Amino acid sequence: MSSALAPTAVTPRASSGSGLFRALVRAEARPLLRNPVPWLCFLASVWALSTVEPTVGEWPGSSYEQVQPSAVPMLFGIALAAAVAAHRARSDVAPAAPAGEIQRTAARLVAAVPYVVLACGYSALAAWRERELGGMWLGMEPGRTTTALHTFPELAQVPALALVAVALGAAVGRRVSRLVAVVPLLFVFWFVVMTYWHFGAPSVTPFSVLQVQPIHITVGPASADPMAFPDDWLLAGPPHGNGGWQRQWVSQALAWWHLVWLVGVALVLLTAAWPRSGRRWLLAAGLVVAAVGATAQVAVIP
Amino acid sequence: MTTLALAFVPTARAIRWRPVLVVVASLVLVAVLAEATRGPISAVLAIAAAGLSSTAVAGLHDPADTLLEPLPVTRMQRRLLRLAPLAVSAAAAWWVVTEVLSPGRHQPVGPLVGLTAVGVAVAVWAPRRRAVVLGAGAPVALFVLTRVVPADTRMAEVASVWQTHPWWVLLGAVTICWLGRRR
Repeated sequence: MSSALAPTAVTPRASSGSGLFRALVRAEARPLLRNPVPWLCFLASVWALSTVEPTVGEWPGSSYEQVQPSAVPMLFGIALAAAVAAHRARSDVAPAAPAGEIQRTAARLVAAVPYVVLACGYSALAAWRERELGGMWLGMEPGRTTTALHTFPELAQVPALALVAVALGAAVGRRVSRLVAVVPLLFVFWFVVMTYWHFGAPSVTPFSVLQVQPIHITVGPASADPMAFPDDWLLAGPPHGNGGWQRQWVSQALAWWHLVWLVGVALVLLTAAWPRSGRRWLLAAGLVVAAVGATAQVAVIP
Repeated sequence: MTTLALAFVPTARAIRWRPVLVVVASLVLVAVLAEATRGPISAVLAIAAAGLSSTAVAGLHDPADTLLEPLPVTRMQRRLLRLAPLAVSAAAAWWVVTEVLSPGRHQPVGPLVGLTAVGVAVAVWAPRRRAVVLGAGAPVALFVLTRVVPADTRMAEVASVWQTHPWWVLLGAVTICWLGRRR
């Protein structure tokens, strides 16, 4: 009798560091992935992508340029979901909690990885759609192609932008006191980014968020003979070329270095969401990577 | 009425203005860039209208909402009290952005007013816990719909009604708000 009533000591099960981290990631991923906004925004992006089609009389390269901006609603949705998750970090957690702040923040970021995979899915869909259409149109006679396809680094820009979206969402969610305020903030950021033609000048594009190729480089006045330009140049001229002849320049090297720039930007943004410890290193690494990416882009542009 | 007038300044002080300033500064910055590059401005105008109306509606979020419930001021009156300074600031920001984008050329304020009214109507009728978030999301959702629907279709005409017939949208949204005045 007495032995049945004796209190039994309950000792907490010791959990390994990685086990605890995995559990944290699962706990963070569940509400993050149940948020309907990124999925609805993904559908909006896919819908926008499905409407992109070369049409007779379009601005040379217009359909080619529309493929990547169509991803912007999805990026907005990802940033919003990341902000909602990061906003929870504003609530105090007991200092004796088994997981430290760094572990919790890292788990929250790892939990957002499925959204980067979703962005990879969007890029794969875009690549398939272009091939289904037989390629996009770029340039005008005599420098024209009807079989243009986005290169791998250009397509990889969307997953890289998803990283930026997660980092931006985490930063805004962590720093803004009222969650409702992140809706207009993220909306204005991402949809201003979508107006890519304002950031397409050769001097501005290395520092842009969404880089849409081709880059337009003026190569001659309206009176210039287009047959005198090299055969492999894609051209846009009167009435489309802003009063002169422009070369529509597509570069894989520029796209690769832009990816480096975006990774740097994501790291810099993450510093606003990261706990104090390690923040300085993250900022330094982000600045170095971003500087390398930007400098290399400037060097690549003719 | 006197009570409401007296409450105007403290209410305006209670609103968080920093996010509003960030949104306005971003819009002015892109307007300067758009003006410099001489690119098409219709997209920037639409973003400004949706962004500013979403900001105004987001300002309806009142952390003291439950605390103020016993006061003899209805929830709708409190909403209007918060909306007044926000609407004035949104209108001022709209004027600055449009002046930078197209100096001397009047840009209609209808889309901004229409979208704000739609946002408020959604905030009035949506479940209370998510009312303001859904209200602030309404102008954004309408904008996104306008961008993704293929142009020159019947659906595009319907989706862009806030741009083509904003005053009818305003009338409809105000009617919906009036029907929900006790909410």
